[in-house]
Amino acid sequence: MGLEIEVRDEGDRRIIAVRGEVDLNSSPELRKAVLGAVEGVARVGVDLSGATYMDSSGVATLVEGLKSASENDRSFVLIRPSNAVMRVLELARLDSFFDIRDGLEAG
Amino acid sequence: MKQDLMLEIASDPRLLRVVRDLVRSYLIEAGFVSDRVDDVVLGVDEACTNAIRHACGGEPDNTFRLTFRSTEGWLEIQLEDSGEPAPPDSFVRDEAPGPVDAADLSPGGLGVHLIHEVFDDVEFCPGTVQGNCVTMKLRLPKEVKQ
Repeated sequence: MGLEIEVRDEGDRRIIAVRGEVDLNSSPELRKAVLGAVEGVARVGVDLSGATYMDSSGVATLVEGLKSASENDRSFVLIRPSNAVMRVLELARLDSFFDIRDGLEAG
Repeated sequence: MKQDLMLEIASDPRLLRVVRDLVRSYLIEAGFVSDRVDDVVLGVDEACTNAIRHACGGEPDNTFRLTFRSTEGWLEIQLEDSGEPAPPDSFVRDEAPGPVDAADLSPGGLGVHLIHEVFDDVEFCPGTVQGNCVTMKLRLPKEVKQ
């Protein structure tokens, strides 16, 4: 499976739902969606429950999104990261760097 | 040392998925447990990504080579490319890595960090004249299921 990205608005938060594998080939597509959302709205969530794989270029994309959101005083959260995503964040020692949510209800 | 598998791979990022699938199958066959397989697939993917990004200069008609060799207790995965040699310190990680400094994060640096996290040993191959060569070593599982 490649990468599928769906962007939708839930309440006042824009959700970028990621399904499939994020790697060197597919991360530019995720980067475009993440930076576009951060530019457009005040609250962004990246739903990673369906992300079956993520490499360093995917992690770097999430870091870039968070930095851009912070600089512009916007909210940027990760929603339900899959085991694969949690593992690469742990190995990168960035698991406590992000605001990770179980769902959309809080904050 | 027994050579199990040698892959000659075009430096095209679209092939990374294929490489990951092959490496996954190989590691399962070698007896690694599922969590370890996932980590090692990530580590090999990061090494291939570095080769495509830096050494092959983004040219999809370059190639690099991935060789799997097993010996008493060890699996060695060697990546050789013929691109621009990387600076000698590119694959060196600090002795005490500490948390990755996110403010300083570059995707290439993060990839090297992940490679060191995943493998039991990582070293440059000696005497490489052209291109880059890195060997990533793993202790084989003690009991291989038949």
